[in-house]
Formats: sequence, C-alpha cells, structure tokens
Amino acid sequence: MNTFFLVIGIGLCVLVFFVLYRVVFGPGVFNRIAAISAIGTKTLIIILIMGIIYNRIDMFVDISMVYALLNFIGTLAAAKYLEIGGEKL
Amino acid sequence: MIRKTDDIIIRTVARILVPFIQIYALYVIMHGHYSPGGGFQGGVILGASIVLLLITHGLVETKKKIPEKAIALFSSMGVFIYAGIGVLCLLLFGNFLDYGKLSVILNIPPAAARAMGILGVEIGVSITVMAVMISIFTSISTAEDHSKYDKEH
Amino acid sequence: MEVTLLIEAMDSSFRVLEDAKNQAVDIMNSAVRVTSETRTIEEKKLVNIFKGAQSRRAILQNTVATFVILFGFWTVLSGIFDLFHLTLGVICSLIISILTHDLLFANVRVGDIKLTIIRFIRYLPWLIYQIFVSNFYVAYLVLSPKMPISPQIIRFKTKLESDISWVVLANSITLTPGTITIDIKDGEFYVHALAKKVADDLNTGEMEDRVAHIFMEADHIYVQDVLDVAPIFGVLRKGI
Repeated sequence: MNTFFLVIGIGLCVLVFFVLYRVVFGPGVFNRIAAISAIGTKTLIIILIMGIIYNRIDMFVDISMVYALLNFIGTLAAAKYLEIGGEKL
Repeated sequence: MIRKTDDIIIRTVARILVPFIQIYALYVIMHGHYSPGGGFQGGVILGASIVLLLITHGLVETKKKIPEKAIALFSSMGVFIYAGIGVLCLLLFGNFLDYGKLSVILNIPPAAARAMGILGVEIGVSITVMAVMISIFTSISTAEDHSKYDKEH
Repeated sequence: MEVTLLIEAMDSSFRVLEDAKNQAVDIMNSAVRVTSETRTIEEKKLVNIFKGAQSRRAILQNTVATFVILFGFWTVLSGIFDLFHLTLGVICSLIISILTHDLLFANVRVGDIKLTIIRFIRYLPWLIYQIFVSNFYVAYLVLSPKMPISPQIIRFKTKLESDISWVVLANSITLTPGTITIDIKDGEFYVHALAKKVADDLNTGEMEDRVAHIFMEADHIYVQDVLDVAPIFGVLRKGI
C-alpha cells in the first residue's frame, strides 16, 4: 500500500512542474494566480500522502488544514489587490 | 485593500468560515503539546481569520467587531501574561519560567504544573501574535493614515 | 373718595382672580404635558422591551446554535475525551460563539435553524449524485476526439431572495463539473457552461427549486414534496 501512495505522491510532484510552467510563462496575471492556487491544492494532497506514508495522519491533517486556509486567504488577497487596480491600496 | 467587496459569494463564504477558523486556531493553541502547532502558529491563524474579515468586510465593519484600542491592549496583554507567569515562578523561589514551582499554587504535581504553565505561556504568545499581525496588516494597507480613510467612508 | 377706593379694591381683586386663573391653567397644562410625556416614554419603553426581547431571543438562539456546531467541530478535531480537554473545548467554543454569533447565522428567522440544517443535509446526497453524473459527461467531452463542446454564458434571474441561498446555489453550480458561476449581480446569475446538455440541465431549474426548499423561500411547488407524493401516485396508477 505504501508504494501505491508513494507513486501517487511522485506523480503529483511531477504534475506540479507542469503547473509551474503556467506560473512562469503564463500570459497575464490571472493565469498565474489560478496556477499558484492549483499548486497549493496539489501540495495539500502531497502533505496528506506523506502523512499516510509516515503513519502520522492525525498530525499531517492539521498541517494540511492550515495550508489550505493560508492558500485560500492568499489567493483572495491577490485577487482583491488586482480588483482595485493596485495603485491605490 | 480593506474596503468592502461587492462579491456576495466571497463575503458570505468568509462570514461562515471565520468562526471555524477561530475554533481551529484555539484547537492548535490548546493542543500544542500533542500535535504540531502551539502559541505562535495558533496566533497566526487567529490573525488570519481577522485578516480575512478585513479583506472581505472592510475596515469599518471589522472595527465594530474588534476596535483598534482592543488590538493595542491585546498586543501588550499577551506579553504581560507571558512575563507574569515567568515572574510568578521567580517569586516562588524558582528560575524565570520554572513552571515546576507553580505546583504550590495550583495544588497539582510538578509535572502537571509544567503542562499548565506552558499552556498559559502559549495563550499569552498567541494573543500577542494575533494582535501584532492585525496591526501590521492594517498599518500597511491603510498606509498608516486611518483618519483620511475614516473621512472617505 | 369711597368710590375710587371701592374701584381700586375691585380692580385688585379681579387681578388676583385672574392671576389665580392663569396659574390654574398653567398647572393644568403642565399636568397634561407631563402625563402625555410619561405616556410616550412608557410606550417607547414597552416597544423597546418588546424589540429587545425579540432581538435578544434571536441572539441567544444564534449563540446556542453556533456553540453546538463549534463544539462538535472541536470534538472531531481533538479526539481526546478526558475532562480537561472537554472543558477547554467548552470554554473555547463559548468564547467564539459569543464573539461571532452574528457571523455564522446572519438573517435567519427565529426557529428555522434546525429545519434548515436537516434539509441541507438531505440536499447533499442529490448534489453528490449530480456531481458524479456530470463528471462522467465532462470526461466523455474531454476524451472524445471530436471535442463536441459549445461554450456559452447563460444569464438567468433567480427567484431566491437571501444571500446565503444565492451562495449555496452558486457553489452547487460551480461544484458540478461543466458549469461555473462567474458573477452574481442584482439577483442575476452569470454562468459559464461547457456544453449544451449541461446548460439545458441547469435551465430546468431543479437545483434552484431544491435550494429554495432548503431555505424555505419563493412560493412554488417544492420538488421534495412532489417527490414525496410520487410513490403514492404510482400505486394509484397501478391500481387503476
């Protein structure tokens, strides 16, 4: 079972690089924000899979919840910054 | 940065999410000795919940919930709790923050007294961290000019 | 001499009488004013007490409901059931429910919370089934080599009234694959749909009816009620 989760985790790590391409070269700011949000979601799942591999799922669930929360607030703040134009805060 | 959003979805979701974020932050603070987390992390999450409220509901509505005087009071109160517990240990002929000596007051064995002392210190740390996070955010996003902001709204 | 004295005496007596009359009128007027003032004050007090009792009841109900939900969340998170941690949970939930009682349940009518929560939980399986079905459809769209998509933006005016029901409908639309809510403006939804079938599914308005049923809004035949009655009709038809 551990190998199964390990393979899934490595696969997700590889997928992160595909999304990273969108972050670096993506045309426009909105593509970048959406891509960063997607990377955050993938990282969350990777953290949970690490928890299963290390048999400490109760700890890693807490960490993943904090990560999801900060990802949400960060995306929201970036979107809000863009909404008002960025010149006047 | 901190005026009200027009988007009703974001506002409502944030409104529903804030109590859960806060109870989660308190859980992180109180269970610092069983699971990852502790005072600083819990304080950051508490601060993040208020920052979420600031982003979505604006400065004026958030001030009604937690006025700036309260934030200033909290930021010093946390330090006071931290130092107070430390000095209390000094007064009981121990070292600074030597929680074992608290067992005399609390009527419990020294090991349990240490756990309680650490819990109190973590609560103090979290209160300070929360207040400082909020005040940094408000200061940056209003460019330290609240009076002008108040006049505009 | 005597006549002038008499006239003066009469004058002074009349003056005294007039003064007395004026004073009496003043006293009467002031008494009337005082009574009317006290009456309005008392009426205001009564109204305030009534309003205060109503709002206090709403606040109490919101606080208790928030406390129960937060304490449930705490026990799920904590997983430690000794006295110390449960007491900590009660204290923390109490603090937060008192501070944020108007955030979790804003604009909820008194007495509706329990029914709303029960109906919301009964709505979830249907939503999950919808997500499941349209997942397969979108996977078919993506994998088929011809790419039979026809992207379009639908605009429809909703009959829902409160903000929370708008948000539940918008999030349900976004959660279902193939459709995404772009914006809500003045009760009008702007939804991006990937294909015609998905858009048609949305335009039937079943999801909107179900959301209206959860929050008890909009005068229309509730889908749930129709579904409850349907088996009876089936039996009747068989009998005929």
